[in-house]
Amino acid sequence: MRILLVEDDELLGAGIQDTLSRAGYAVEWVRNGALALSALAQGGLDAVILDLGLPLMDGLEVLRRARGAGTATPVLVLSARDAASQRVEGLDAGADDYLTKPFDVEELLARVRVLQRRLRGAAVNILAHGSLRLDPGSLSVVHDGRPVPLQRREFMLLQKLLASPGQVLTRAQLEESLYGWDGNVESNALDVHVHNLRKKLYPEVIRTVRGIGYVADPPV
Amino acid sequence: MKPRSIQSILLGGTIAVLLAVLGAAAWLGFEAGEDEAEELFDARLATSTRVLAALVAAQVPAAGAAAPIVVTLPQALQSAPHDQASALGHHYETKIAFQVLDPQGGLLMRSDSAPGTPYAPLAAGFSTQRAAGHAWRVFTLRSGAQWIQAAERDDVRAELSGKLALATVTPLIAGIPLALVLLGLLMRYGLQPLAELARRIEQRQPGSLSAIELQRTTAETAPLVAALNGLLERVQAALARERRFTADAAHELRTPLAALKIHAQNASRAASEAERTASLQRMLAGLDRSIRLAEQMLAYSRATAARGALPLEPVALRQVVDDALEDVLPRIKEHALKLTLDSDPPVAEMPVRGDRDKLASLVRNLLDNAARHAPPGSAVRIELRADARGTRLAIVDQGPGVPPGLRERVFESYYRIPGSPGEGSGLGLAIVREIAAEHDATVQFDDGEAGRGTRVTVTFPPP
Repeated sequence: MRILLVEDDELLGAGIQDTLSRAGYAVEWVRNGALALSALAQGGLDAVILDLGLPLMDGLEVLRRARGAGTATPVLVLSARDAASQRVEGLDAGADDYLTKPFDVEELLARVRVLQRRLRGAAVNILAHGSLRLDPGSLSVVHDGRPVPLQRREFMLLQKLLASPGQVLTRAQLEESLYGWDGNVESNALDVHVHNLRKKLYPEVIRTVRGIGYVADPPV
Repeated sequence: MKPRSIQSILLGGTIAVLLAVLGAAAWLGFEAGEDEAEELFDARLATSTRVLAALVAAQVPAAGAAAPIVVTLPQALQSAPHDQASALGHHYETKIAFQVLDPQGGLLMRSDSAPGTPYAPLAAGFSTQRAAGHAWRVFTLRSGAQWIQAAERDDVRAELSGKLALATVTPLIAGIPLALVLLGLLMRYGLQPLAELARRIEQRQPGSLSAIELQRTTAETAPLVAALNGLLERVQAALARERRFTADAAHELRTPLAALKIHAQNASRAASEAERTASLQRMLAGLDRSIRLAEQMLAYSRATAARGALPLEPVALRQVVDDALEDVLPRIKEHALKLTLDSDPPVAEMPVRGDRDKLASLVRNLLDNAARHAPPGSAVRIELRADARGTRLAIVDQGPGVPPGLRERVFESYYRIPGSPGEGSGLGLAIVREIAAEHDATVQFDDGEAGRGTRVTVTFPPP
C-alpha cells in the first residue's frame, strides 16, 4: 500500500511516516502542495494524507486541483482548524475524511484502513479469498482457520493482490506499493516475498504471469 | 459619605447668592429711604415750626408759664388703630408735638403729646432728644421773645423707610421658591446628558464595549463621552488582540502537540528497541521546540501587554548586545559562524533610553534569526553606530535574505517565510517589532552585502 503524505512540519511528518511505515505502508513524503500535485499526477497511490496548512499552496487548493484533474485517490485531510465550517469545506473540496490535530495514532491508522476499504468499495476491512482471511487492522492472516505468520512486506504484498482479485499487477506496481519510489530495491526482492508467501499458503493463491507480474485468481 | 450632587451645589449656591444680593439691596434701600425720609421730615418739621410761630405769636402772650395752653387731641385719636386716618385726624398726631416757651424755658403752650418741660436746650436748629421713652427729632426756632420747638417721634420716620425697604424686598423674597423650582428644572435639563451618561454606563453588560452615544450632547459632555469612547475603543482593541493571540496560540500549538503525541505513541507501540529510541529522540526534539514556542509566546504576550507601562531608563546598547550574545553564543559556535562587532565610535556605550531586558530580548531574537538561517561558517557582523540621527544597531548575515515583498509580513505573529527550513516559532520578529515600537525605534530589512543575505537595522531616537 502506497500512501502519499503531504506535510510541511518536519517533526509531525516524521511521526506520521514512522507510524505508517511501521504499520507496513510505503510512504511518500512531500513538503509542499506543488510536489503533492506532481506525485498525484504520477498515480499508483492508494491514499493521501494531506495537511491543509501548507506553504505556497494551501492544502484545500491542492485538493481541488487534484479532484479537478480527475484524481480519485482517497484523501484524508489533517488540519489544525477544527471548526465545523472548515471540516465541511474540506470534505466538499473532495476530502474523504478529516482528522484534527492533535490526533491518536490508532485513529489515524483506522481511518487509513477505511480509505483502503472505500477504494475497494467494501463495507468491512477484512479481505476474504476462498478459505483465506486477511485483516488489515490486526495485520493477521487466517488460512483454513489456522493463523499464518507473515512478515510485514509479505502481508502488504498479499493485501495488494487480494484487494483486486483477478487483476494482473505489474512488478513495478507491486514494488512501488512495497517500497515507494526511493526504496533501494534489490531486483529479486519481490520474487523472494512471492516465494515465501507460496510456501506459507498452500494451495497457492498467487499465479505468475510471465513477463508481466502476478495475479491472485478469484477462488473457484 | 454620599458625594454632593452638582445640582444641589448649584441650587444651594444660587439661593445663597440670591439671599445675599436681596439682603444687601434691602439694606441699601432701607438706608437710602431713611436718609431721604430724614431730609423730607426735617424740612417739614421746620416748616411746621415756622407756621406755628406765625399762628401762635398773637395768642401766647395771654398764656403764662403758670398756665400754659395745651392743645388737646380728640380722645379717639389717642387709642386709634395704628395706621388709619379718620374724620378727626390721625393717630400719628400723638407722635408729633410742639412747645412754645419763654426765654427762660417756661412753657407757654404745648400740644397734648408734648411733655411739660422743654424738649431740648434753647438753641436754634435740629437736634435729637429723648423723651417719654422715645427718641424725638426736635427743631428749635426763636420767634421774637419766644422759643418754639416742634418734635416728631423717630418711629414715624423709621416706619416709613422700613416699609419702603420691605415693600421692595418682599416680592423678591416671595419669588424665591418659584425661582428655586424653575432653577431646579433648568438644572435638571442642563445636567440631563450627564445623568443619561451615568445611566448608559450603569446599564452596560460587562462584555459590551461599543461606543456610547447620547441623545443630546453638550459642550461639557462631548469631551467626556469622547474620552470614554476612546478608552472603550482601546480596551476593545486590547481585548481583540488578546483573543486573537489566544486563538492563534491554540492553533499554533496543535501541530507541535500532534507531533509530540504521535512520537509518544510510536514509542509506546514500538516493535523494537531501535524504533522506540528513534521515536523518543524525535519526541525530545518536539519537546524542545514546544518549550521554545511557549517561551516565545510568553515573550510576545509580555511585549504586547505592558505597552506604555515601561520606565525608559538610560541603557548602554553595547552592554545589551553583550547580554544577548551570551545567550546566542552556543548556536553561533554550533554553526561555526564568524562573528564580528563593528562599533563607531569604537569604545562608546551607545546610549539609548529603554528597558535593558526587553532590549536584550530584541537583540537576541535578531541574532538568533541570523544564527538560524546563515550558512555554517559564514560571517555575521554586528554594527553599532551613534550620531546625531540616533543610535543604530545593524546585524548583517549571509543567509537566504528576506524577499522585498515579505519585508513587512515577516513581522506578523506566527508568520514564517514559506519553505524556510528550521522550526522557528514565527514570533521572533513580532516580538522585535513590539519591543522596538515601545522604544520609538524602527526596524528595517535590507539586502546584505553585495545583494546577498540580510541587513536588519534597528534605529533608536537620540537619547
